[in-house]
Amino acid sequence: MHSRILTVVLVIALGFTLALLGSRSGRVHLPGNQQDYEPVQPIAYSHRLHAGELQVPCLYCHFAAEQSRHAGIPPASVCMNCHRLVTAPLGALHAEEELAQKEKRPPRPLVSAELRKLYDALALNAKLESDPARTPRPIAWTRIHQLPDFVYFDHRAHLRAGVECQRCHGPVESMERVRQVADLSMGWCVNCHREVNRTGVYGPAVRASIDCSTCHY
Amino acid sequence: MQHYWKSLEEREHGALAEGEFPENPLQTPAGRNRRGFLKAAGFSFASAVLAGCRRAPVGKAAPNLVQPEGILPGRAVYYASTCTACPAGCGLLVKTRDGRPIKLEGNPEHPVSRGGLCAVGQASILGLYDRLRLKQPLAGGKAVTWDEADRAILARLDSLRSLPGAVRFLTGTITSPTVAWAIGQFLKGFREAQHIQYDALSSSAILDAHQRTHGVRVLPRYRFEKAEVIVSFDADFLGAWISPVEFTAGYSAARNPELTTPPLAWHAQIESRMSLTGSKADRRIIAAPDEIDGLVARLAGEIESGRPEGELARRLLAARGRSLVLSASQDPATQALVNQINHRLGNYGATIDLDQPSYQRRGNDRDAENLLREADAGKIAALFVAGANPVYDLPGGEAVRKVPLVVSFAERLDETAAIAHYVCPDRHALESWGDAEPVSGVTGILQPVIQPLGGTRQLVETLAVWAGAPRPACEIVRERWREQHPDDFENFWEATLERGFAAREPKQPQARAFVSPQPPRQNTSQAGWSLVLYPTPGMLDGRHAYNPWLHELPDPITKVTWDNYASLAPGAAGKLGITDGDVIRVAGLELPAVIQPGQHERTVAVALGYGSRLSERFAQAGPEWIEALPTLGPNGRIGWNAAPLARFENGSLRYVRAGVEPVKTGRRWELARTQDHHSLGSPRRPIIQEISPEEFATARPAGDPREELWPPDHPFTGHRWAMTVDLNACTGCSACVIACQVENNTPVVGKDEVRRKREMHWMRIDRYYSGPPEAPEVAHQPMFCQQCEHAGCETVCPVLATVHSEEGLNQQVYNRCVGTRYCANNCAYKARRFNWFEYARQDRLANLVLNPDVTVRSRGVMEKCTFCVQRIQEAKMEARRLGRAVRDGEVQTACQQSCPAGAIVFGDLNDPKSRVAQLMRSGRRYRVLEEINSRPSVGYLKVVRRRGGQRHG
Amino acid sequence: MAEPCSVLTRPLIEGGKNLAQVTGDVCAPMERRPGALWWVAFLTAFGMLAAGVAAVTYQIATGIGVWGLNNTVGWAFDITNFVFWIGIGHAGTLISAILFLLRQRWRTSVNRAAEAMTLFAVICAGIFPVIHMGRPWLAYWIFPYPNFRGPLWINFRSPLAWDAFAISTYFIISATFWYVGLIPDLATVRDRARPGLRRKIFEFFSLGWDGSCRTWHRYEKVYLLLAGLATPLVVSVHTIVSWDFATSVIPGWHATIFPPYFVAGAIFSGMAMVLTLMIVARKAAHLEDYITVRHIETMAKLVIATSGMVALAYGTEFFTAQYSGNLYERFVFLNRAAGPFAWAYWIMVGCNVGVPQLLWFRRVRTHLAAVFVISLLVNVGMWFERFVIIVTSLHRDFLPANWTSYRPTSIEIATLVGSFGLFFTCFLVFCRVLPMIAMGEVKSVLSYGHKPKEEA
Repeated sequence: MHSRILTVVLVIALGFTLALLGSRSGRVHLPGNQQDYEPVQPIAYSHRLHAGELQVPCLYCHFAAEQSRHAGIPPASVCMNCHRLVTAPLGALHAEEELAQKEKRPPRPLVSAELRKLYDALALNAKLESDPARTPRPIAWTRIHQLPDFVYFDHRAHLRAGVECQRCHGPVESMERVRQVADLSMGWCVNCHREVNRTGVYGPAVRASIDCSTCHY
Repeated sequence: MQHYWKSLEEREHGALAEGEFPENPLQTPAGRNRRGFLKAAGFSFASAVLAGCRRAPVGKAAPNLVQPEGILPGRAVYYASTCTACPAGCGLLVKTRDGRPIKLEGNPEHPVSRGGLCAVGQASILGLYDRLRLKQPLAGGKAVTWDEADRAILARLDSLRSLPGAVRFLTGTITSPTVAWAIGQFLKGFREAQHIQYDALSSSAILDAHQRTHGVRVLPRYRFEKAEVIVSFDADFLGAWISPVEFTAGYSAARNPELTTPPLAWHAQIESRMSLTGSKADRRIIAAPDEIDGLVARLAGEIESGRPEGELARRLLAARGRSLVLSASQDPATQALVNQINHRLGNYGATIDLDQPSYQRRGNDRDAENLLREADAGKIAALFVAGANPVYDLPGGEAVRKVPLVVSFAERLDETAAIAHYVCPDRHALESWGDAEPVSGVTGILQPVIQPLGGTRQLVETLAVWAGAPRPACEIVRERWREQHPDDFENFWEATLERGFAAREPKQPQARAFVSPQPPRQNTSQAGWSLVLYPTPGMLDGRHAYNPWLHELPDPITKVTWDNYASLAPGAAGKLGITDGDVIRVAGLELPAVIQPGQHERTVAVALGYGSRLSERFAQAGPEWIEALPTLGPNGRIGWNAAPLARFENGSLRYVRAGVEPVKTGRRWELARTQDHHSLGSPRRPIIQEISPEEFATARPAGDPREELWPPDHPFTGHRWAMTVDLNACTGCSACVIACQVENNTPVVGKDEVRRKREMHWMRIDRYYSGPPEAPEVAHQPMFCQQCEHAGCETVCPVLATVHSEEGLNQQVYNRCVGTRYCANNCAYKARRFNWFEYARQDRLANLVLNPDVTVRSRGVMEKCTFCVQRIQEAKMEARRLGRAVRDGEVQTACQQSCPAGAIVFGDLNDPKSRVAQLMRSGRRYRVLEEINSRPSVGYLKVVRRRGGQRHG
Repeated sequence: MAEPCSVLTRPLIEGGKNLAQVTGDVCAPMERRPGALWWVAFLTAFGMLAAGVAAVTYQIATGIGVWGLNNTVGWAFDITNFVFWIGIGHAGTLISAILFLLRQRWRTSVNRAAEAMTLFAVICAGIFPVIHMGRPWLAYWIFPYPNFRGPLWINFRSPLAWDAFAISTYFIISATFWYVGLIPDLATVRDRARPGLRRKIFEFFSLGWDGSCRTWHRYEKVYLLLAGLATPLVVSVHTIVSWDFATSVIPGWHATIFPPYFVAGAIFSGMAMVLTLMIVARKAAHLEDYITVRHIETMAKLVIATSGMVALAYGTEFFTAQYSGNLYERFVFLNRAAGPFAWAYWIMVGCNVGVPQLLWFRRVRTHLAAVFVISLLVNVGMWFERFVIIVTSLHRDFLPANWTSYRPTSIEIATLVGSFGLFFTCFLVFCRVLPMIAMGEVKSVLSYGHKPKEEA
């Protein structure tokens, strides 16, 4: 009798703990399931700003995706294509310029904290020229979409077939910090392959193999 | 992880924690009693574990700051280069992924090697990632900086500059014009200094003979593809003689029933031991080593007189200008006779090329002998050793110890480097700039494909520093080449780097008209025993003894790994009461015996290249457990060094030694053999099938397997991958075995595991004898997963870890495998390999050679040949990207790519025009174990056997 | 088979026991303190078990490579032991189910122990398919369960998958059958037990049994039904086990005769094991009156019958191999009889075909020591039968280049010893804590053979 009450209470408690976990991390996952993983990155790069507002195409930075199995993380040199000029949020720069015009002085250089990290990585000095005194060190991004070692995924075929990035990576252009949207489980892959074999990718028919050796070798 | 701590707090503070946690289960009356409390802890601990398990380890990705041009993560880049694993100088394509070389492949355009690459070349990439490679110079065994080394050495040298004949530069054959030039430049600074070249595997006599008969001391270039009759006296030209890849390519081209216009080249081999070449001969004559020279003389006589008595002379005379006579004899007189025969037959200018001679052997044994004598007499003040290891591989090489200043350029601490006063480590070829001219007129280029992994320095750079003109190797090489091609050099250079070689104007050696040699004194063949020293295709002269792949590569004939041994004829062994594994004493050397069918009764044969200092590293090879046996021999090394048993005799290094009686010691040494049974059984199993040229001429094309009652399980609508293996072309050289191992991350398992028959090679070469044991016929059969359409393995796997693909592949899914081994039991070909242990992967540097496109298999998992599915996938993806179909020949499996004989053809059976589809229809095609209807995707092409048989000479 | 008339005339239980005596005799070993003999036996068995546990732990920690297997011989001791134990398990169900349906009254004094033996044997057997895997921690993958892989099911064509089901079914049914049979006796023990923990336990497990007529009635029904359920299993389990081999392509395995051959062999070895245990047990627990010479004799007859069947199977195998003209088949059987493992083959033939022939003689059948020795030899022989089938077929199959040999390592031997340790440990514990003889059923046959005479 007594013990029965106890058990009931404990079950509720367990439910509560799990709920708590859930609230902290989207939902409870089986071990190994990385869904909703949203780590802090060394540089607070905003996909919402770049891909969303500024509408930079995904392949501008992840240019390898078309030619290699990996989409690749853009080298810092790619960032510099723009950020050689844009050293801080545009708004701030304009404000500074107006202020400078009012005060009849040359605008002071503005460098946002996050971009500073980029320049440091490239060992650039204040004038954004490479500084021989300092050593460049690559930026170690935290990987979000990680497949196990025995899985081989190839971006080429998927791009060629017309699968758009969001189908797997979710609405990245709306994410401040990138989150793993899909659970990347085998079922998730295979079922999509099965589906497109029936329906095609937005019309055009495709042959998405469901052989094991498509991904495992 | 917080939750974890939370529950611990509950454990510690019990009730205290109540207020803190509103949801605390302990607020219930039950909370007061201990058991309930522990339960509570348990509950929240469980949920904590759930929380804990959520995250896989955090992975980091650091992209380049500035992306190099044309390099993308995940895409392989190929660089043309030249192989330096031996002086043959085959063309290379170096496959690099993300900045590290992971595979060496033959360069199909290279005029010498024509796309093949031997086992040694394939394996040599491991040398790049060798953790015991020297990383900085050594002075007296202690690590020093280059400055210190340079200053010290130059200080010592200055005193010697004026001393006549005090400085000697000893190297192996130098095929690189640049290196030869650099050495010359360096030696200019000394009076009567000499650059001496020698070959541990010497062909000095051939060069000497041409000095006598043609007035030029060169090695002619043999053109097997032009020969219709090949008579080889003991020359193992398919195995380890001078330039096996080049010769194999020519040989198989001359003997391919599909492509060659008849007659196919007929090959007779006169030898005392069973060599790889002998195993392919149409007529194999077994003669004692001391008889062979006599046989040459006899043949010469018959040719001279023009009255053939034996078959050889008859056939040779019938094929004037289309025949080729070779000898590996180290007796210049005999070689001169061979030249005479070839001259009389008009083979010079036809099958033997003196105008574009070969530089693959340049050594001069007489010089080497003199050098050792001088050293012994203390005449030499300074000795520089590069690309050679005299202490190990020359008889009497110990004399080098007496030289007051020995400077070695070895990459590793070999025997000579160990006694050297200074070691100035050279770079690995893949880190170096350089060139190589294997045959006159063809100069290959070496370009670095990776940043140097240690503080090493290229030989040419070092010499430049010492000559007082320090320059980077790249410039030195370019400098030399610019001299050859002054006009429009930059474009020429770019083009060369791309092709990997350049055709130069061959330097015409002034060969004077043929001068018949004086006939050699007939050496009376005494009826005693003789010892034959020979190189194996895997170990050559032992310069690669650091390489575990080559040690684990089964000898193509005896199938022994991880050891050398003394082979004896069955009859002789019977007389002496010796069985496999009995330790016998031969000329002071004690090593295990192996009974070798087809060997001469009075011959003991021992392989060179073993027992090297470099093999001491293998103490840890293989898994460690209670019943594990050691890999190293009683001498703490792999095998026994037989080189000291060779000897100098009037000016050349002789590998044959008369009057050595093998004596049984009574001890035993268990050898690790991958194949114990050597016959096809009786009644003969139809595993190896043969066909005569006549039968082949009239053979009907091979059809498809029998129709079945029920519809096929697999429609194979898209591709249908298949392979054919030409048993007539296959020489058993085992290049494919290593190629497969490199490509597919196959682990090295160590001697004990091989002894237990657990070798991991996906591609193995079965070798079968037929006929009488004293003179058997030999067949080599590459065996690997046959990708059966009705695969026994597929039906029995309980977890679907091995299933058939839409493209006819028998897929093995490592991550699904639970390791019941049922599939292996039910495989009729026993082509599957099991990971009995977690095989060695702890050498982080060596792991850099792993192919990132192939999963590294863990313990307890079954694996096997996949038809290089990773290459198929890559080709398909690339084709898809470019919006076209996969072309025939676009997918090359690793074994196919490396095969010098072109015996392996892979492709799409559904494409009727593909080469594989055509060969599958050949009249020679059969499938192994067709009778059990496993329907393999691999077709074998029958051996074309011309029943010449064998006899004793 | 004992013919019914004799059953009517000759008593099954000797010594003219009355009901109370039966209860007393059977419960005695449970209520007595264990004797020195028991302790010795138990400690030995437990030692063996410990050795086995150590070996398996080492193997799982280090890798399956610590066994003597190789690329050609992928199975040896592991599956041999597995089939061996499954075979042992057969007698129990046979005696309790089939003989029950056949109304063989004599079974009553041995069926309890036989069933217990079955359970322990199946437990031993069940271990091997798990530990023989390269990655035993993933053993659960051979059961179909919903998953996130697509979902990815198991291969229903694989005999190993069938095994998993066959064996678990067999275990569950035999366990239930055994337990149900126990209930009345548990109640008896409960009633004899003094109040306390022991009594509480038996109270719980006897499910509130009140020997009322209705209870007995229901009980009989259930028992009969379960017997009906268990009977097909006797045949099915070993049939399916035999398919592990029969469905393969390996010469020497790929044979249609395997199912009957294996079932016969299983009953053969099972009976032998029952004999081995019973002969010891009746002495140790002073149950001579219950497990009489007659019981032994009857089982001996069963043994020789099944021995005959096995012999027939051996012959047939050879005949078909030669008659088929298939050179691989022919070779395998010649290789068995004359190859490197000929010694194993001839041990098998000797123990399974030769030795049992002695049982044709009544004097041998009724001579306990002799029967005991023979039963032991049969067990040895049957273990070797499985060894021969598995190893000699594998070690020299199609391509001579693959031919190897096989030598077990110390670890494998320790594992085999361990499985015996487990078996005997369980059985010895069983003898102490549960009634070794089905009192309820024995009592029902007490009345057979009126006025027990000594010379009968």
